[in-house]
Amino acid sequence: MTSISTSTTPRLSGLSLRYLVLLGLIVIASVGFGLANENFYSLTNFGILLRSIAVLFLVSMGMTFVMLTGGIDLSVGSNVAFSGGVGVITLTTTGSAPLGFAAAVLAGMAIGAINGVFIGRLRLSAFMVSLATYALARGLALVIYDANSINVSNAAFLWLGGVSWGSMPVVIPFVVVVFVGLSVLLYNTPFGRNVYAAGANFNTSFVLGRRPERTLVWIYVLSGALAGLSAIVTVGRVSSGQPWSGLYLEFDAITAVILGGTSLFGGRGRLLGTILGVLLYGIIINGLVLTGTNPYLQSLIKGMILLGVVLLDTWTQRGKTS
Amino acid sequence: MTKRIDMTGIGKSFFATRALDRVDFSCVSGEVHALVGLNGAGKSTLMKVLGGVIACDEGAITVDGVAVRIASPADATGLGIAMIHQEYSLINELTVAANIFLGRELYLGRTPFLDKREMARQVRTQLDRFGLTLDPARPVRELNSGEKQIVEIIRALMSNSWLIVMDEPTSALSEEDKERLFEFIRRMKAEGVAIIYISHHMPEIFGIAEQVTVMRDGKIVLSERTGDTTEAAVIQSMTGTELDDFVKPPKQIQGDVLLEVATLSKPQHYENVSFSLRRGEILVLTGLRGCGAPELAKAIFGLDGGYSGTVNYRGKPLSPGRGPAVSVRDGMGLVTENRDKNGILAPLSVRDNIALPYLEKATRGGLIDGGRIDALVAKAIRDTSTKTASAAQEIRFLSGGNKQKICFSRWLDDGLELLILLEPTRGIDVHAKADIYRIIEDLALRGVGILVLSYEIDEVMLLADRVITLYQGRSVAEYAHPHFNKDRMLADMAGVGTQAATAH
Repeated sequence: MTSISTSTTPRLSGLSLRYLVLLGLIVIASVGFGLANENFYSLTNFGILLRSIAVLFLVSMGMTFVMLTGGIDLSVGSNVAFSGGVGVITLTTTGSAPLGFAAAVLAGMAIGAINGVFIGRLRLSAFMVSLATYALARGLALVIYDANSINVSNAAFLWLGGVSWGSMPVVIPFVVVVFVGLSVLLYNTPFGRNVYAAGANFNTSFVLGRRPERTLVWIYVLSGALAGLSAIVTVGRVSSGQPWSGLYLEFDAITAVILGGTSLFGGRGRLLGTILGVLLYGIIINGLVLTGTNPYLQSLIKGMILLGVVLLDTWTQRGKTS
Repeated sequence: MTKRIDMTGIGKSFFATRALDRVDFSCVSGEVHALVGLNGAGKSTLMKVLGGVIACDEGAITVDGVAVRIASPADATGLGIAMIHQEYSLINELTVAANIFLGRELYLGRTPFLDKREMARQVRTQLDRFGLTLDPARPVRELNSGEKQIVEIIRALMSNSWLIVMDEPTSALSEEDKERLFEFIRRMKAEGVAIIYISHHMPEIFGIAEQVTVMRDGKIVLSERTGDTTEAAVIQSMTGTELDDFVKPPKQIQGDVLLEVATLSKPQHYENVSFSLRRGEILVLTGLRGCGAPELAKAIFGLDGGYSGTVNYRGKPLSPGRGPAVSVRDGMGLVTENRDKNGILAPLSVRDNIALPYLEKATRGGLIDGGRIDALVAKAIRDTSTKTASAAQEIRFLSGGNKQKICFSRWLDDGLELLILLEPTRGIDVHAKADIYRIIEDLALRGVGILVLSYEIDEVMLLADRVITLYQGRSVAEYAHPHFNKDRMLADMAGVGTQAATAH
C-alpha cells in the first residue's frame, strides 16, 4: 500500500495474523464437522450453508461500517422484517417486482435514516437509539403484516433468494458483488476514510473538517439499505414474508464482526475479516445442526463464542497498549 | 494564637536539574503570602514538598519552631496544610454537606444512619462565619466553579486546616465569584488562617497579599512586603536581566491583509478585540491562561459562534459558527492545543492521519489516487523531519513531538492560506520544538498567514513578527518586531496597571 516503508523484514500486522488464525479455524471446523458427518462435504450442503448465511454476510458488512465508527446497530434484524413487509405488500398491491425491491430497500434506508439522524446529528447513544428502533421496526412489521405471514409466488421477486445455478445459490455471486462494491467504498473513497476517521476520533475528525456527523448518518442509512436487501433475500428463501423474520440477526452480525477483528471502539477493522468471521460462525452453526446437536444448546454456544472473542480482544488490546 | 511554618534551605534536584536551590519560605497565620514565578521556576515543586507529594533532598520544615517531617500528603493534612487545586476533588452527585463530611460522617447516636441535619447545621455555621450563603443540601453538580472552590476550602477548614495553598484560584472564576473569593480570603485572614496564593495576576496579588515572593530557576529572587515593592519590580525579578533576549533577524512582510478582526466580543471570553494579519506574517497572541485567546482563535476557525463583531477573511466577512469543514475548504488550518484529545486519530496510521484533509484533492472519478496520497505523505514526513518506522505505522506509537509534527503536516499543501496554532510546542522536547519553529517560518515565507496562541514568553519572542498581549479577554498592547520588550509584555499579561476589582 505504501512505497516509503523502510523496513525490509516482512512483518505481520495484527489484523493479517487474525485473518490467518480465522482461516485456520475455518479449516479445523470444516474438517471436524466433516469427520462427524459425511454429509458436511456434499456440494448440496455447501450450497445450503452459503445460502443460510447469505443474509448474515449482507447485514454484517453493514454492521462493519457501523462498528468502524464506534457505533452499533441493534435494529437490523427487526428492519429485515419491516422492510421485507413493505416490499411484499408493495409487490402484492402493484404486482411489480422492481417496485417491490425498491420499496424494501427504501424502507430499510428509512429506519437507517432515523438511526443516523438521532446518532449522527443529535449525538445520542447508538446503543439506545438502535435499541429503540429495534422495537419500533419490529412493531411496524407486526402492524403491516397484521401478525400473519404473506405467501409470495412472484418468480422475479423470489429469484435472488430462492434460485440456484446447480448447487450455487444466485445470492452468493450477489454477495460477492456487494462485498467488492463496499470494499471500494471503504478503502478507495474519501467517504470510506471518513468512516475510519469518525470512529478513530470524532472530535479530531470534526476539527479537520471531515463532517463526521454527516458520515454517521450515511453509515446507518447504508446499514438499513443492506437490511432491505437482506429482506428480499429472506423472502426469496422461504417464498413468504414473515413478521418474525430476522430475529436475533443483530446478535449474529455483531458476533461475526467482532470475530472478524473489528474493534468495538471504532477505527480498526476490515471487511475481509467480517467475511471470514461470518464463514467461521456459519460453519459452526451449520455443523451443529448437521451433527444433530440439541438446538437449545445452540444459543448457549453462540453466547460462549461471543464472550470468548470479546475476552480475547480485550486481552490483546491491553497487551498492545501496555 | 498565631501559627507559622518555616521552610529553610529546601533543595531538590531532578537528575541534573536543580529544581529548588536552598529555598527559604515562611508563612504566618492571618496573612496571604503570594508566590510568583514563570513556568518551571520551582513554585510547584516547592508546594509539592510542602504538601508531602515529593520529598526534598535537603532542608528543614518547622511549625511554630518545632521540626516536622512531611513524608506523605497525609502528614501534610495532619499538620493542617490543605492544597486547593484547580481541578476540584468533589463528588458531583453528593450534596455540599455530604462532600464536606466525606469520610468522617456524623451518625444518629449509635445507629448506622447519617445525621444529615447535624451535618448541614455545622456546615451552615461555618458558612455564616465567613459571610457566605450556600445551601448545604444542594448537590455539588449544580454549583458553579466559584461555589465548588468555596466548598473545597470550607471542607479543608472544617478538617482543622490552618494553612491553605491556592493554585491560580481565580483562573476559572467570573468577576462576581472572584469578588466573593477575595472577601472570603479577607475573612479567613481575620480568623487566623494562613494562605499561600500562587498567581500571576499583579492586581490580585497587590490587592490581597501581605508578602510576595518571586522564584526564578529554583531560587528565591525577591521576597518583600507588598507595601515595600511595586508591580514592576516583581515582573522584572520574574524574568531577570541576565537572560539574552534572542531576536530573530528582520524580515519584510509585503503580503496583503488576509485576516481582519474587528471589535470581536463574546461575554466571559473576549471583549472588543481588533487586529489584522497579512499573508506571510506570524502574529502571536499571548497572555495568561484564561486570557480568551483560544476562544478567539476558535471563533475565527468557525468552531464557535455567538460573538459580536466581524471577521473578514480574504476580504469577505465570515459567518459565525459556520463549522470547520467550510474553513478547511477555504484554506484554513488549525493545530489544536490538545494533541491526544482532538489532534490525532490514535488507531489510524501515520498515512491516514496526514492524508485526511487532502483526500478530495487526490481523487479521480470519486476514487482515491493512492499513488498521489503516498507521494504527498512521503513529502510531508520529509519536510517536517518526522521520525516514523513507516507511513503505515499507527500514530499512537510515535513520540509527542512526532505526533505534533504530523498535526502540522496535514496542512502543508499549497492550498493553505491561514494557519491557526494553539500552543504549538506544548509538551514536546527541544529538538522537536526547533523543527516546529522552522516549519512555521517556512510556511510564513511561502506566504501563509500564521496566527499563534502561546503562553511561553520565550517562544513568543522567538517566533513572532508581531505580538498582541491580552489580559482577561481584552487586548492590552501590540508590539512589532524587533521592538519586543519582555518585561513590558509580561506586565501586560499580568494586568499591571489595569484597574482590578481587588483593591482594598
